[in-house]
Amino acid sequence: MYIIDRITNERHLVHVLPIENDDFKKLTVKRYSFNWKKLRNESVVYKLKLVNGDDILGLIGLVDYPAEERTEIKLLASSAENMGRGKKYERIAGCLIAFAGREAVQKFKNYPALSLIPKTELRQHYISKYGMIDAGWQLYLEDLPLLNLMREYLS
Amino acid sequence: MSIKKIFEQFTPDEIADALVLPVKLNAKQRQEADKHLAAHREKRRAEMTEAEKLNIKLIQLKFQLEDYVKQEEYNPQFSFGYFLEQYLLLTNRKKKEFAHDIQIHETQLSQILKNRREPNESIMIRLELHSNNIIPAIDWFKLLEKEKGHQLKTNRSLRDKESGYVTRSLQLV
Repeated sequence: MYIIDRITNERHLVHVLPIENDDFKKLTVKRYSFNWKKLRNESVVYKLKLVNGDDILGLIGLVDYPAEERTEIKLLASSAENMGRGKKYERIAGCLIAFAGREAVQKFKNYPALSLIPKTELRQHYISKYGMIDAGWQLYLEDLPLLNLMREYLS
Repeated sequence: MSIKKIFEQFTPDEIADALVLPVKLNAKQRQEADKHLAAHREKRRAEMTEAEKLNIKLIQLKFQLEDYVKQEEYNPQFSFGYFLEQYLLLTNRKKKEFAHDIQIHETQLSQILKNRREPNESIMIRLELHSNNIIPAIDWFKLLEKEKGHQLKTNRSLRDKESGYVTRSLQLV
């Protein structure tokens, strides 16, 4: 799994790991957009880091619905310097979503799915960017669209 | 940062590129959203082809193999033969049929499945091609390497035998 430096075009290997208690001290709203401490009891939070680095570049909060063989993305944030036109790295959110898909595929043996509830204004952007399927209120990925996303980001 | 500020500062495309925002639904809305999603997925599942189902199963096997190779511990159960047998089960291939698919002798395949014979690189590449590149040869190679590494680390009798050939070793503190 890699991200791309937008200036040098260099690829940097990244990995996604479970968040540790000490990490929460570093997760400011200013840099990671939301209050992640609030999420720690209701979802499983993971962090994306460079393989050769300690800085957290992105976060994702996931909740499983085993009866539906589904994982839901509750929240996702790239760090502040990786948002907007001036961002440093490409692919952070894609890597985190693909990681969540991989988790779902490993946990749920028959019909694994990954879903999120989008803000109305963002719905079409998630569909075109990540190949998500429109199911009314929610968007989701499963079978081929999910495999395609994993192929693109997990290599 | 408030949601309002995020929308002021970034375009929708930039937001979708970096964030999934929190969305609060009341219990009724949540129920309706889950109902719609379940119905949508059920329809898709009904239309899913056997090939698509197999695709998912193979990806799951690939992830299981990759995760095992990555972890430190050696597990004698997760041998090359074990993963290859799982592959045959998922693809619904009998030994004879599979041996024919990849053009090796059935006896050779049986020996590999029982871990009595080591697969060579050609076989690992044939496995990659047979899976339509879903399980790459390098994954099979790393699995074999893990087994061999464990054997090398734990082979006491070979160490005893080879020690006879080392007439002088380094004197270190």
